[in-house]
Amino acid sequence: MTSTAARPDDVKSPGSVADPRRTSWPVLVVFLVPALAIYVGLTAYPAFRTIYDSFFTIEGLDATFVGLDNYRALMSDETFWVAVRNTFVWSFIAPVLDVSTGLLLALALYAGVPFARFLRVAWFTPVLLSYVVVAILWMWIYNYDWGILNEVLRAVGLGALASSWLGDPNLALGALIVTHAWKWAGFNMVVCLAAIHSLPREVLEAADLDNCGWGAKLRHVIVPMLRPTLLNLYILAFIGKMKIFDLVWIMTGGGPLWATETVSTYVYKRAFNWNTFDLGYPSAIAAVWFGVVCAAVVILNRVLASKDRLEY
Amino acid sequence: MAFFSMLGARDPGATPLPRLFARGGLALVIGAYTIYTLGPFLWLATMSVRTTGEISLDHYAWPSPFHWEQFRIAWVDSNFATYFWNSTLVVVGAVAVVTLVGAAAAHALARYRFKGNRLIYAVLFSSIIFPPQITLISLYQILVDYNLYNSLLGLTLVYISLQLPLTVYLLEGFFARIPQDLFDAAKMDGYGDIEIFRRIVLPIGMPAIATTLILNFIQLWNEFLFAVVLITDPDKRTLPIGIRAFMGDHFQDIGMIAAGVMISVVPVILAYIFFSEKLIRGMTAGAVK
Amino acid sequence: MRWGRFGCAVAAAALSIGCMGPALAQPAQINMWSNWPDEPAKKDWVSARVKEFEAANPQCAVKLSFIPKADIYTQAKSAVRTGQAPDIFYLEPDQPEFLAGGFLEPLDSYIDLAGLEDWAKPAWTSKGKVYGLPVEAYTVELYYNKDLVKKVGVDVPANFQLTQAQFTDLVKKGVAAGITPISQGVGDRPFPGGLVLYEALLRKLGPEDYGKLLDGTLSYKDPRVIEVMDWVKGLVDAGAYPKSFSTLKLGESHFYFYNTPGSLTFPDPSWFTGRAFAPPESGGMPANFPLGIMQFPAMDGGKCPECKTLAVAGSFVMYSKSKNKDCAGALLKSMATRDNGTKWMEQVSLQTGLASDPSKIKSAHADYFAELNARNKGVKYFFGTPLFHYRAKCAETYTQVMNNAFPAGLISVQDAADKMNAACFKG
Repeated sequence: MTSTAARPDDVKSPGSVADPRRTSWPVLVVFLVPALAIYVGLTAYPAFRTIYDSFFTIEGLDATFVGLDNYRALMSDETFWVAVRNTFVWSFIAPVLDVSTGLLLALALYAGVPFARFLRVAWFTPVLLSYVVVAILWMWIYNYDWGILNEVLRAVGLGALASSWLGDPNLALGALIVTHAWKWAGFNMVVCLAAIHSLPREVLEAADLDNCGWGAKLRHVIVPMLRPTLLNLYILAFIGKMKIFDLVWIMTGGGPLWATETVSTYVYKRAFNWNTFDLGYPSAIAAVWFGVVCAAVVILNRVLASKDRLEY
Repeated sequence: MAFFSMLGARDPGATPLPRLFARGGLALVIGAYTIYTLGPFLWLATMSVRTTGEISLDHYAWPSPFHWEQFRIAWVDSNFATYFWNSTLVVVGAVAVVTLVGAAAAHALARYRFKGNRLIYAVLFSSIIFPPQITLISLYQILVDYNLYNSLLGLTLVYISLQLPLTVYLLEGFFARIPQDLFDAAKMDGYGDIEIFRRIVLPIGMPAIATTLILNFIQLWNEFLFAVVLITDPDKRTLPIGIRAFMGDHFQDIGMIAAGVMISVVPVILAYIFFSEKLIRGMTAGAVK
Repeated sequence: MRWGRFGCAVAAAALSIGCMGPALAQPAQINMWSNWPDEPAKKDWVSARVKEFEAANPQCAVKLSFIPKADIYTQAKSAVRTGQAPDIFYLEPDQPEFLAGGFLEPLDSYIDLAGLEDWAKPAWTSKGKVYGLPVEAYTVELYYNKDLVKKVGVDVPANFQLTQAQFTDLVKKGVAAGITPISQGVGDRPFPGGLVLYEALLRKLGPEDYGKLLDGTLSYKDPRVIEVMDWVKGLVDAGAYPKSFSTLKLGESHFYFYNTPGSLTFPDPSWFTGRAFAPPESGGMPANFPLGIMQFPAMDGGKCPECKTLAVAGSFVMYSKSKNKDCAGALLKSMATRDNGTKWMEQVSLQTGLASDPSKIKSAHADYFAELNARNKGVKYFFGTPLFHYRAKCAETYTQVMNNAFPAGLISVQDAADKMNAACFKG
């Protein structure tokens, strides 16, 4: 770093300065307390309440302690397991789609395609739309009779492939995943682009001088150097998908035949749609799911990121 | 598209013809992808100046005549002016606070060694995972207890708490990668901890901060669940609830929904265009490394 | 809420001291949430009742909000627990949890029960008390396009009821002519896909056994049930429903029926009018549309061909923790009169659970209303749709299987019956 290199004389001796990675408690308090206060007041308490509720059955204003009954019932709840399966499929597969599309788009912009400034905005517009609007638009796109997807298929002579995309249990989940990827690819692109821009230019130029093709450059230089960013994006997308709700709720409501039921839609159904004020059971689902996602994130971090943290 | 560009570049000695083909192919793919992302949005834009009756007859027709009055109806008659102001107040307030508070926490967690650092990080981060549908009711209770129910301030606080874990997570990851040498040097120049944060971390962290700003802003601008439950006073509604009013039980007023969406999304696009230019320029000019 | 309480305290103080005239006292404010922001006729009816009440009762002020139904439920579910729910809000009898949780105030001491129809009271009665004002009631009807049905060569008999075979024939002729026989979609509703099947089951089983089926005491494996399901499955396989059935929304299925592409029939509760009688330019039914109402088909060997489902929908309830029950009760009392029931019918062209005087009705849709009444003459009513009787997992299974997968042709009769039995049958 140039800044330190320019000033070695200022350092009297390394030992005389206090360890710069330590600081006094008041400073930490100033930095951390606002965040922790918000966390404790508005996140931890409701979360704790949820876990507490999961040991009760609640009828109106009366709560009855039932111990682990909700958890036991959950283990044999068929719908819950279907929801878990769907959510896992979505969470593990879809982020790959999101992140790789985002990376390719960012590379295209970085490589200097014409109209890059326009394209950067054009590709980002889906991110700006709310789930409600995205859901309505894509329900039209997937419409059997006049949706653009089927219209195009019919126009190119593939009319036999025209389907009721959201109405077929074999296709509905895939259709939702595509819609979700459509919305989020642009966000991944922006983050990747920022990361590419902050790569040391010399490395990329050196690769250019070596007459390194784009493929090789991508594999040997760009992807390894972007690893922390890509990983962050993957985990972020993963968590987003583990909680996925709005899009599914509006487009399919978990149907047909529970083919698109996710854990969050099931929690919501149990909490708001099952003609009961019982928060116990949905709280149990939320608590279990909280554990599962935490564990998954920790494992993902271990498996994928073992060496990244140490490098800096 | 990178696939095609790879084709074009893998063999520099190739004849111009395949390269031309690759170029054309690349343009084709980029064009197709642009239509794929922008098409639905433009389609929605045409619908915002058509009435629902016209749209139902032909979903793809060009507007004729242009029903600009739908924007007036939304803005004046349907109170979108108020909703817009409320949304701006809540979202800008929440994003500003959450970015500052989150950046401070992220900096402390990324930079300083102290007991419980990773624990605090894990605790803050884990709250990102809780499904909001389930904490909704407890949160509601809290707001009622503190008399913040049905107030924009209450909604702002909830939004801050919603986006805090994500902000800390994104910024901590980035701040941790700022070289320690910079801090050592700053310390030696006599900078205090707060000054280091203000004069080094914030400027250098701008790309990451900008990213979280964008993400937080978009998510909160479109937030619906908490807005519908925590606000019942019509004068305090936010834009997503305003748009929702056109989605009747029996009758979806598609033309008005589209007009409402345009009112809510166009300023965001303009802000994004302005902001992303600055962002990219900032990144290329003052890159850290 | 807070101001409401404050105003109430002031009013009470003024009254007890007796030194201030009522004109000086701040009127007590009550809150009221109503559905129907998108249905002008119903909205007008509610607004008019509130205005009349305020004019007659200066000591009470009403803050009335029109909120979509789904949002009312989401808000109310959180609000009732913390004492924040409005004094009066909209509810339907298929949300019994509010009553079970003790969040509703019995209305017996506030309103004149003679202002309600006897058949509507049970929907809101629990332990001998009435908890809701059943403003909106409906029957399940089979609307049809007279011209198209004639065009495919089917004559509707004088009793307006086809036999099972005739209905099958209608479906087949429609498909052959390239006209969708039944417009129906489940894109945004948990029930429409079950209308044809369950109306058929009601007519086949008769009210008693049909009631048992919905109670969970009659198996879906009962041969009569299987027979009806086989018949409906045959219709489905013949192409009775639109291809876009799974994603077609209720509003779109209206449009499908009376605009494009057009269908022979449209099974719908009689609140059909809420959307159909909107102005055509905002998507309502064209003025010259050849609308007819027929009975659902009579089943072969059916026990009750004259049966029909009747239900109560939009109602108003009082919150048990309301801070101003006097005003709230007085408002509900002022709504529950024979006059107001008649006005509802006249303006909304829909049945009501309030007492009414149909002979006095004069409206632009009088012909329609006469036809609806004719189709409900001599009818034997069964109270409540499946979702009124089904709860929790059983309701969810109904929504996924009987409402969606079965009429979409995704599942066999045996599988559908198995799934329903697993969720609903109590052995």
